[in-house]
Amino acid sequence: MAKLKVIAACGSGMGSSQIIKMKLEKVFKKLGLDAEIYHTNVGDAKSQANNYDVVFCSESLVSTFGKTTATVIGLKNLLSEQEMTTKVQEKIIDANK
Amino acid sequence: MDILMSVWEFFQNNILVKPQFFIGFIVFVGYMLLGKPIYECLAGFIKATVGYMILGVASGGLVGNFRPVLVGLKDRFELSAAVIDPYFGQAAAQMSVENVGRSFSMMMMVLLIAFSMNMLFVFFRKYTKIRTLFITGHVMVQQSSTALWLVLFCFPQLQDPQVVGMLGVLLGTYWAVASNLTVEPVAKLTEGGGFATGHQQMVGIFLVSKLAKKIGDPKKSLENLHLPGFLSIFNENVVATGILMTVFFGAIITVLGPDLMHSIDKSFGKNQNFLFYIVEKSFYFAVYLTILQLGVRMFVSELTNSFQGISEKILPGSLPAVDCAATYGFGHPNAVTFGFLFGALGQFLAIMGLIVFNSPILIISGFVPLFFDNATFAVFANRLGGIRAAAIIPFFSGMIQVLGGGFAAYYFTTGNFGGWHGNFDWDTLWPVIGVIMNNLQYVGVAAVVIILLAIPQILYQRNKDTYFVIAEDFDKYKEIMAKKQGVSVDDVVID
Repeated sequence: MAKLKVIAACGSGMGSSQIIKMKLEKVFKKLGLDAEIYHTNVGDAKSQANNYDVVFCSESLVSTFGKTTATVIGLKNLLSEQEMTTKVQEKIIDANK
Repeated sequence: MDILMSVWEFFQNNILVKPQFFIGFIVFVGYMLLGKPIYECLAGFIKATVGYMILGVASGGLVGNFRPVLVGLKDRFELSAAVIDPYFGQAAAQMSVENVGRSFSMMMMVLLIAFSMNMLFVFFRKYTKIRTLFITGHVMVQQSSTALWLVLFCFPQLQDPQVVGMLGVLLGTYWAVASNLTVEPVAKLTEGGGFATGHQQMVGIFLVSKLAKKIGDPKKSLENLHLPGFLSIFNENVVATGILMTVFFGAIITVLGPDLMHSIDKSFGKNQNFLFYIVEKSFYFAVYLTILQLGVRMFVSELTNSFQGISEKILPGSLPAVDCAATYGFGHPNAVTFGFLFGALGQFLAIMGLIVFNSPILIISGFVPLFFDNATFAVFANRLGGIRAAAIIPFFSGMIQVLGGGFAAYYFTTGNFGGWHGNFDWDTLWPVIGVIMNNLQYVGVAAVVIILLAIPQILYQRNKDTYFVIAEDFDKYKEIMAKKQGVSVDDVVID
């Protein structure tokens, strides 16, 4: 698979999105996926979503994204590597098979 | 010896008292210690330094944009005013510190000492009973800024090293003790999510977890409620700030009138329409806030990264205390909106109260406390006390934010620069700490630290058998509770 462009988003683009990003970096490494991961606020992510392959955010923010070419993945626990691994496996790896 | 002295003097004059270089320097040294290649150290230095300089431009812009309105209010009504928001508070604190001729570099040193204190507390948790490490970088910057001004306000004669040392201990104790208070509420909400809250309303979360079940019934939850869709625009920071500021500054500037504004604000063009002037002025707050956040993000992301690494490597078995928004995924989306709405209602009523009762200070709602504090409270309140608690608690929290923030901005004079921190703990606990420090001086500081450190001990005495288990292994905690209640693990009631 080509290098993935990933963005993590949260309300202010400061706290939670950076946590998601740091956890994602580990998960992607473990799964052997090559990815560039950024983090920002929801408004910014929404307007740029089409430039990315995958968007990660809290489940409560998924509906803000509406129609986009990126895969939007909602997380319940922003710190759970287990939840991220399952969702990356299902929505990125399996979906691209 | 002379050479050493002049090297130190050079360092002091060019790096130590210049916060932008000081922060860059810390990042540079930190990266060197981590064994990163020199070009990455240099990149980190540049990002941190530029990030801080961006912050400086934005703080100046924020306060400068506010100044004509402050002058107008003073002129006409003998009033001062403050936006209760951590970014406005940080800018006002920075201006206050620099206004008395002190270096804002101290903020960064305070942050590092306080973080180290928190680490020590966790390391010796057998004795201190502290289970959490505060790692929310941007919040640590904001709180260090405001707390630095509180100490300089109460101890104007104190030398820099003493200020930094004393405040480092005080703030580190608060971070450790307050985030430790959120362990139980967050673990129960997230069913052992593996984190605690390290933000601006930690004492608030603890109070909500105690009060909510008395106020309502969790079975009458707000999940079935249908909220209007337009409220989702408040999810975007810029939009929300733009709307809030236009409403508040629109009202204030309209009362002041175009003639007065023409005479005090040169940026109000002769032929410019009054309405468009108001909108432009209000939107400038969104502009500077966006720039400010960009700057903070640039130098804080380096910081948070290393804090996160430390918490995982050095302190296994402890919980990281992170941004309050991490809890939102465990509550219904309605709870977040509900908290924001009822918090706003409480704030607006309290602001009207300030005007009616001729308060010497006018408070303007800021987005961050309004949204993040009250949304968090509603998430916890809904779980324990349903829709009734999720409405009543944010409503009163909103009122407390305005009254406590108003008092603080007036008493600690940051109203002169138009801002106060404004989040729940900084409208309740911290003004009290400030008043104690101001009146009892060193005795007060010592008393505050001792009282804070006693809190985890009391919590531990009450639940010795589960105190550490709930943070380390939630399934085991459930088993213990099931045994206590005499039911199977599936039927255990956790509240």
